[in-house]
Amino acid sequence: MSGVPQWAYAAALAGLPLQTHMRLRRLLSLGSPEEMWNAITEGSAPVPGVSTDVMSVWRSTEQDAARRMEDLCRSKNIHVCVRGDATYPDPLISDPKAPAVLFALGTLHPFTHRRVGIIGTRLATQSGRHFARVLGEQLTAENVSVVSGLARGIDVEAHLGSLRTELGAPPVAVVAGGPDVVYPREHESVWRNVVERGVILSEFPPGAPPEPYKFPLRNRILAALSEVLIVVESRSTGGSMTTVREAMKRDITVMAVPGSPHIKPSEGTNDLLRDGCAPVTCVDDVLVALGLDTRRVVKGHDGRTPPSAVGLRILDLMENLPRTVDEVALLSGMSVVDVAVSLGSLEAQGWVAQGDGWWEALTR
Amino acid sequence: MFAAITSATLTGTSGSRIVVESHVGPGIPAFTVVGLPDEGCRESRDRVRAAMLSSGLEWPNRRITINLAGAGERRGGAGLDVAIAVGLLVATGVIPAEAVHNVAFIAELGLDGSLRTTAGIAPLVAAVADHDVVVSAAAVNEALIARPSRVRAVSSLCELVSALCAEAPWPDVDAESPRVVSDDVPNLSDVRGQPVARLALEVAAAGLHHMLMIGPPGAGKSMLAKRLPGLLPRLTHEEAFQVAMIRSAAGMTVQTELATSPPYRAPHHSISMVGMVGGGTAHIRPGEITLASHGVLFLDEMGEFAPSVLDALRQPLEERTVHISRAHSRVEMPAECLLVAATNPCPCGVAIRANCECAPVARQRYLRRFSGPLLDRFDLRVHLSRPSTIDLTGETKGECSEAVAERVAAVHNIARTRQGCVNSAITGDMLDDVAPLDDEALMFLRHHLDNGTLTGRGYHRVRRVARTLADLNGDAGVISQQWVSVALHLRARLETGVVHHS
Repeated sequence: MSGVPQWAYAAALAGLPLQTHMRLRRLLSLGSPEEMWNAITEGSAPVPGVSTDVMSVWRSTEQDAARRMEDLCRSKNIHVCVRGDATYPDPLISDPKAPAVLFALGTLHPFTHRRVGIIGTRLATQSGRHFARVLGEQLTAENVSVVSGLARGIDVEAHLGSLRTELGAPPVAVVAGGPDVVYPREHESVWRNVVERGVILSEFPPGAPPEPYKFPLRNRILAALSEVLIVVESRSTGGSMTTVREAMKRDITVMAVPGSPHIKPSEGTNDLLRDGCAPVTCVDDVLVALGLDTRRVVKGHDGRTPPSAVGLRILDLMENLPRTVDEVALLSGMSVVDVAVSLGSLEAQGWVAQGDGWWEALTR
Repeated sequence: MFAAITSATLTGTSGSRIVVESHVGPGIPAFTVVGLPDEGCRESRDRVRAAMLSSGLEWPNRRITINLAGAGERRGGAGLDVAIAVGLLVATGVIPAEAVHNVAFIAELGLDGSLRTTAGIAPLVAAVADHDVVVSAAAVNEALIARPSRVRAVSSLCELVSALCAEAPWPDVDAESPRVVSDDVPNLSDVRGQPVARLALEVAAAGLHHMLMIGPPGAGKSMLAKRLPGLLPRLTHEEAFQVAMIRSAAGMTVQTELATSPPYRAPHHSISMVGMVGGGTAHIRPGEITLASHGVLFLDEMGEFAPSVLDALRQPLEERTVHISRAHSRVEMPAECLLVAATNPCPCGVAIRANCECAPVARQRYLRRFSGPLLDRFDLRVHLSRPSTIDLTGETKGECSEAVAERVAAVHNIARTRQGCVNSAITGDMLDDVAPLDDEALMFLRHHLDNGTLTGRGYHRVRRVARTLADLNGDAGVISQQWVSVALHLRARLETGVVHHS
């Protein structure tokens, strides 16, 4: 079989059933991708480090799969980076658990920029989402790449913010399925825009569905790609915490956004702060951590109409906690009608947001 | 040899007159009922025979044919028993034919010859308006609702025969002394705090806007719904009459004094589609939506109802009548109710949203159980929260139902004189005349339409609710921004996670 490039063999090896990143690295350390592919599909000799059970599954693979993988990647415009290639992301080269093969959708030049990971829970509060979006936007404008996972909640908001800028560093997304598999479905347009402006990376071949076990694996790549990892909101357990652990193993600075001690989405971040992580309250904190100049950041007016006196009173009530209209009315002594009118204009001005009847102040 | 006796049968909530023809002639002794009788009516044969023998009357050992005249439509019910028995007695000459002229008989027979009441006495009596009507003694109250005079009540077949043969006078019709109609609608003053819920209830009552309450367990959703009938205006005589007829048709107890408090129905979520909108095989019975006419239909835990049951509500809510078509009959029943539904915001139902344990998909799936068109029927979609401890333990009582009901009644009057219907029934083309917006309000709504936070359908709904809010506060003219703003608050956006393609 001639004409199939080495990267296509590597991609086909990555797409084998029962493949793990450890097995793949071992295989590729034994010989060139083509040799290994032929060894497996012909099944002439046992491959060291691969059990007979796995080999019996692999042996039934068609020889032709490598060519098909080549066609698939070419048709989907997916670039395959094999460890050792010039295109392989630099930050991962020295990583002990780096994937041997990476599938990339988009433009592969973002790794010359500074990179900050922004992660958090899918069950985020409105103010958490708002914070992630603003942070993503400001960092991108400061020419810092935002690395995130395109999951619901904080992840997608960080990239939405990043995409709001006209210019700036390209966004980097690391996903748990094939880079062409949009998950969750409602993120289709973000997905497209990230591909246009930056890159989506995955260690899984095109078409691979996102499965639960793949998310923690994705998190290790996400952590390894970040110079600083920021947790905006997280419960005390969950995916964000696995990313934090991966980052800590790699000596990557982890920072956390402080939140109210009364709500679960702040439990994890407050735990991190107690354990000694540095807090993030604005983009400057992150820039300082990266050793960047903070003086260029224009502060002050953010374009929102200043709230009225009544509006300010209501914003004060919502400073720490999400509130219901009932609570605002009770605490302020105003009538429901007045509260509703004030919240309506605050919402139109962008000072508050609501979800399921809970109102939150968007302070920054 | 032959007799024709008037009686009535029930379809849906209305009765229809029927002539029971009896023929007793020579031939092999037999007893047949023809004219598409239903199961209950075929069983009449055995009941009538036993009742006549127990009453000491002679059973004609000849060929007996009973015809329910006007064949082609299945009909029946045990209410025809007495008409059949009287027909036989007239045909055999025991009772003179003149005695049953212009008299209708509506009652079931017991095997011992006693007369029993049957479901739907009130509409049945109303169906034979130009006749004197004979009912069982137990059914007098119900019969008197339909017609205050020309009602005769007997307790047994013997008594009936002797009265018809003029051997004894008709027993006195003594309606039970009108009972005091129990009016134990709970009062709104029991509700502590919860200003949003109070406002929503008041608006729902004032404009008859259907309401969906979304809140965690303990937010008092059912408690609030129970208080809604107390806020609605008292039923007019006509409405109360209709409610009594419906109750009678459903076989529920009816008092002589017409109840003027609006009905409140809260069916359990295991209810079937027939139970909800009405129907049935032999008899078409009114469903909960008809029973709640002129009152409140409350669906607690709306997500637990079968989707087919919920979607069956859509057409009746829109047209305010239920149409039921069967192979043998078509029935129309009233369905003018105020729909109030309650649901948890998500499967786990914690009080504070940020602490919810449900996966985002699970939350969306939970709310997606309600079809878009159904959700669209609700003018008011209100998020409720648990009352605060300060409110629960405080001394201050809330405003009482009577005060709110007064304001509600005033709005009903304003709406009726202005556009001839309640505010929720304002049609799209009337809106600009009836509920004009000022410039600020229009800009505000445009902002939300552009934002995607308000849909085109929602736009009309919000304007209707804003009209009610302005009416409640004595703003009869152009609607200002504040009412539109509050109306938007009372129309919560639901995160159903349906993918919108840009």
